[in-house]
Amino acid sequence: MGDSIRLRDISRRTALGALGVGILGATAASWPRLTATDIPGRNDGSLSIAILGTAADAAARQKAVDAFRRLHPEIKVRVQAIQAVDWKDFFSKILTMVAAGNPPDVVYVATEGAQLFAEKLAQPLDEFVRRDANVMAEYFADVHPSLVEAFMYRGSLYQLPMDWNAANMYYNTSVFSASGLARPADDWTHLDFRAALAAMRRANPDGFTPYYWTNRLFGGVVPWLYANGTSFLSEERAAGGDWLWDRFYPSDPSRASRSGGYLWEGPNADDPRVVEAFDFLRGLVKDGLGVRPEEGGGNSLVGLFASGRIGTTPAGGYWVQGLAEAGMGPDAFDVAFFPRWASGPASAAQRHQFGTAGYAIMKTAKDKDAAWEWVKFSASREAMELLFATPSTTPARRSMVNEALYSGKGPAHWKVFYDTLDRFPATGPIPAPPQQAAVETALIKNVSLAVSGDERQLKSALASLQGDLELALRRTP
Amino acid sequence: MSTTAAPEKGTPRLSENGRRRQPPPAGTAPSAARGSRAMAWLFLAPTIVGMGVFTLVPIVASILLAFFRWDILSAPQFAGLANFTEITSDPTVRVAFGNTIGFVVVAVVLQLGVALGLAVLVQERLPNWLRVFFRSAFFFPLILSAASVSIFMKYLFNEQFGVVNWLLGTVGVPAVPWLTTPVGSACVVVLVYVWQNFGFSFLLFLGALSSIPQETYEAASIDGATGWRKHRHVTLPLISPTTLVASVMAIINALQVFDQPYVLTRGGPGDSTRTAVMVIFETAFQRLEFGKASAIGVVLMLLIMAVTALQFRLSKRFVFYQ
Repeated sequence: MGDSIRLRDISRRTALGALGVGILGATAASWPRLTATDIPGRNDGSLSIAILGTAADAAARQKAVDAFRRLHPEIKVRVQAIQAVDWKDFFSKILTMVAAGNPPDVVYVATEGAQLFAEKLAQPLDEFVRRDANVMAEYFADVHPSLVEAFMYRGSLYQLPMDWNAANMYYNTSVFSASGLARPADDWTHLDFRAALAAMRRANPDGFTPYYWTNRLFGGVVPWLYANGTSFLSEERAAGGDWLWDRFYPSDPSRASRSGGYLWEGPNADDPRVVEAFDFLRGLVKDGLGVRPEEGGGNSLVGLFASGRIGTTPAGGYWVQGLAEAGMGPDAFDVAFFPRWASGPASAAQRHQFGTAGYAIMKTAKDKDAAWEWVKFSASREAMELLFATPSTTPARRSMVNEALYSGKGPAHWKVFYDTLDRFPATGPIPAPPQQAAVETALIKNVSLAVSGDERQLKSALASLQGDLELALRRTP
Repeated sequence: MSTTAAPEKGTPRLSENGRRRQPPPAGTAPSAARGSRAMAWLFLAPTIVGMGVFTLVPIVASILLAFFRWDILSAPQFAGLANFTEITSDPTVRVAFGNTIGFVVVAVVLQLGVALGLAVLVQERLPNWLRVFFRSAFFFPLILSAASVSIFMKYLFNEQFGVVNWLLGTVGVPAVPWLTTPVGSACVVVLVYVWQNFGFSFLLFLGALSSIPQETYEAASIDGATGWRKHRHVTLPLISPTTLVASVMAIINALQVFDQPYVLTRGGPGDSTRTAVMVIFETAFQRLEFGKASAIGVVLMLLIMAVTALQFRLSKRFVFYQ
């Protein structure tokens, strides 16, 4: 053993040196992983598409990606799922990617961020739509113009609506019947709604909430403001957009009212009808008919609704799949139109709120033609059937909102979803100007206070909301 | 006058153990020293690079950014002191700093009080094996993600369906609007924060208590001290250096509170639980005003430095070193 190296012959310095060499070797070997160059599609010219969701959501799009690749084998596609709490959080992450010099080429953007992207980041689709007008005519014929108008900004179109959801009113049918309530009439009023809540309260005194709502831009206070013909922001329409309406919706009954997109440029929280709507909600909270609008999550709401602890809540078609997975049978719940205001100029319109989403092409996209091919393909019936095989959202194409989609899952009155647009043409999108994040923060900050105190607190909270909105809208997005 | 004479020139020096140290061969000493220094720098390099890239550069960049307007999407524009003047007139920023200071006062006092009280109980009343158990049990919340803890606490404190209100209901207490009133929200944020963080202070206090010699207490007993007086005149002075460290760390952490209020209340209702770091986050990542957010960050940094300096200054009067 004379020639062999004994452990004690190895000095500490040698051992540490060997360790250092080992670390350097391991670093070199794993360099592609450390620099993320081994991610498929990274830096190989692939079209990068960012969506809000998990890796599972990205995988769920694989069928559509495969179908796209069969049509366009020359375009490589990489779907990047970005996890986020909500759309606001998702947009922050996209902006961080932009700042880091690694922006995606295409982003799936909901109404909440549509104007932010249109103002700063996205490429108008006008040229592409005009170029492929013959193909696009079939798409527009199947999609309600209100959804398209939500993606118009100052006369240009920035996205093609893929899916959407209105704030309809879900109700638990067994709770309703146990409370002696029949299905609400299509034109029920906010006072009918309140009476229904009171009946549920009487029949279920403990551990039950007749109306559960959340403090968010969608499904929170805004549907009530729309029902009363107002909003917390002033609403105007931009000029322009005739190129689209004249070409694709020339004979639509609402053609004359279509515009170049919505503009929300001023605060309107001091409007008497805003005060009136807030006061109605304050009354629900005060009388134990509705919760204070906490930051409720969709997942917990589904569980509470499915277990019969909530009577009613505003939600869109996206809720159906979740309720089915939570064990609710097709007859255990149903959906109705959102109530109209009982009196006043808005009572006939029964205006609803909706949100929609679609792909936006980034100005920085390397190959905009390839990006447009993806956007166009995604709007095709073939792609949308692959993407929306279950009722986890409402497809933008009217023809896909059919019996087959809701078969075995309910609700019985699934037609309510698309009828919300067809029967109430005044129905409008979530009010989300380019400064949406600051606007939403202002809303969330003040709504809870407005509806959970006395009349003085309500007025003070709305005055504070007005001030915060003024500041928010003054900012450059 | 020194009692040891300096070694004469040329006399070989003795090493610490008294052996004669051999002079290095001519020409080798400087290179060995150089090699040794190089090796030292080599080992320090990862830490220096890490600190530089991930701590020093962001600090300097943030300070510089505070003098610019930058929205990520366009090039930064020099704004002088505009960001600082804007934040002084922004009511949300003022309220958030007020909330943060109020939170620090309540949360730190509670955190240190609970930690010290439990440490004394565990040290004096429990056998060694139970001490080990509680050391782990109280420390456990600290290793959990603050966001996860806050999410499940949000469920527990839900007014309609939360376990806390259900438990209170069993003894006839009506449902408390924990997360939907300013006072309730503030209480929950403080409770959740203290529950999650007192374990660290507890460990520090437990260590300090176990290092106090038993003889000191015996001497105090002989002098007639009992119960509270023993703690007042023996325990508290002897653990005062630890109290200083624990309070400095607790205050610095509490001034940066973010996760709990962000997840539990999003700063509401109104601005009642909005903190300075929340405003920094919202200003930067939601409103895209990175310069203004950096300015708020700089002010917070100065506040933390001032409070810490004040603590060390006051410590000269209150901290007793053996």
